[in-house]
Amino acid sequence: MKMNRRDLLSLLGVSPALLATPPAHAQQTKTAHAAAPSTEQKFEALNPKGTPPPVRLVPMAPRLDTLSGKTIYLVDTGFMGGGTFLQQMQIWFGKNMPDVTTVFRKKAGAYPEEDPALWKEIKEKGNAAIMAIGH
Amino acid sequence: MGLPTAPMVTIAFKDLALTNAAKRGMPHQRICFTPHPVWGKTDAQMYAYLEGNDPVSGKPLMKEVIDALTKPLTAEESLSGTSTPPVGAPTFIDTSDNLQQYYLDNGMTDFMPIILPTQEKVDAMLKGTSHHPDEVVGKMTPAQGAFPPWSYTVKQCAVNAVMAGATPDYFPTILANASTGISALFSSTNSLVSAAIINGPVRDKLTMNYGIGAMGPFSQPNATIGRAWTLMSKNLDGGGIAGETYMGSQGNIINYNNLIVPENEKDSPWTPFHVQKGFKPEESVVSFFFGFCVTQGQGGKGLGMKPVPHFHEAMSANCAPFASLFGALFLCDPLVANGLGDLGFKTKEQIGDWLQKNTTVTVKDVKTMLFSGLPRGPEAANLTDDMVIPKWPKPDAFNFVVVGGQTNPYHQLGNLSYRLSVSIDKWA
Repeated sequence: MKMNRRDLLSLLGVSPALLATPPAHAQQTKTAHAAAPSTEQKFEALNPKGTPPPVRLVPMAPRLDTLSGKTIYLVDTGFMGGGTFLQQMQIWFGKNMPDVTTVFRKKAGAYPEEDPALWKEIKEKGNAAIMAIGH
Repeated sequence: MGLPTAPMVTIAFKDLALTNAAKRGMPHQRICFTPHPVWGKTDAQMYAYLEGNDPVSGKPLMKEVIDALTKPLTAEESLSGTSTPPVGAPTFIDTSDNLQQYYLDNGMTDFMPIILPTQEKVDAMLKGTSHHPDEVVGKMTPAQGAFPPWSYTVKQCAVNAVMAGATPDYFPTILANASTGISALFSSTNSLVSAAIINGPVRDKLTMNYGIGAMGPFSQPNATIGRAWTLMSKNLDGGGIAGETYMGSQGNIINYNNLIVPENEKDSPWTPFHVQKGFKPEESVVSFFFGFCVTQGQGGKGLGMKPVPHFHEAMSANCAPFASLFGALFLCDPLVANGLGDLGFKTKEQIGDWLQKNTTVTVKDVKTMLFSGLPRGPEAANLTDDMVIPKWPKPDAFNFVVVGGQTNPYHQLGNLSYRLSVSIDKWA
């Protein structure tokens, strides 16, 4: 399935067919079905969806001018293979951008969990981070 | 962190990563993609990924990573504020056939026909509970920590219950399920399974089947209470979208209506499961399990022994391949439970203790297993490869529910862990 990034905020995982708020006429939202005979009985059926929480837009952090001379943390989120992948990335930086310092760290806890101590360390000692997920 | 960050994801998780970033308020997050998989690849293969292209953009991967950290932000990337995700119109109007197609096309079904949730049918369903239609029942997410949870009301649960084919008297059990916030379609690559054990008077009140064929398609309450759980897990939390909020690589047939197990308390020699968890026998309770799949236990060591088959040996052998990340749930026909009693296992706790001591594995083998771990703590330092240790450190990893119609002394078993038990009566 192709995703358009520009549509993501409005879609939020919900079908575009569901975006209207007044009662929707199901026929209008489909593409492949012939209109029903006008004499056929129509029904009004309820939406089964729950209520998602509001989304707070988070502005991205300002970018760096260059990576030269900077320290980048390579953070393994814990999925299988992610750590080894980032260690190869360290080798890549060593060969191709030797003036970049890389620091490898494995994030504490399960993959969705925050690691405040590591975030603090990166903020104090690093200039940027790359977080990698395996599989 | 307030620092530029480049997240990296394999191509198989593209839709999940993009939609989840949007749901978390960063719809333009600069995600860089690698080929899939990373797991199981050699160092040389991983390095080749880095030297190759991002499979989404088609541009050199490491250039994408560097650009993600250094390219100036666009106006869209700097936006702040709040938005409320839309979930669509409150009602849909059309003919019966078109509505069926509409619900199906928009991912609101299990891809089988539904009962259309008209206002009349939903109102009738709401009569099955004393709770107000607008009362918030709980919050659910396809994966805790990964997706922000959605909330839902009694009425929203009722819509799903109607769609599943449930009747109003089933509704308190469905609400009890919903109140836990446990999704039956947990978003893991592991195609996980959820189970609900039903105990107490509600089983007979609803004429649930706990006898012959109890876990098959032979009972309306068993079938539709389970189906409602799946539909709620798709609709109440935005879950069950394959590739976005459901990532089970192969999926699991049990997810259609889940493992709904009313315990056969009448023919069981053991304490009912809910009483084990501190409820009174006269209370109606649903208890939840979660984990890998369910398998049969017909064959196995000891079952040919006479006069009483050595069920305990078979149960141990059958659960031995399980991952110790989850426990073992045994679904025993009453003939098995009574047979175990004849062998001296008078309680569930006794058979659990025996299985914990006698289901063993070598340290060397554990080291090669996925989702099984070695003991932690001081004793870990003294482990050697040839040592034989219990696969599960505690007896509470083993749970037992009696179900079946006594046509043969069989058991089934799941690599499942107990999660919690909740009152059904509370939702009546």
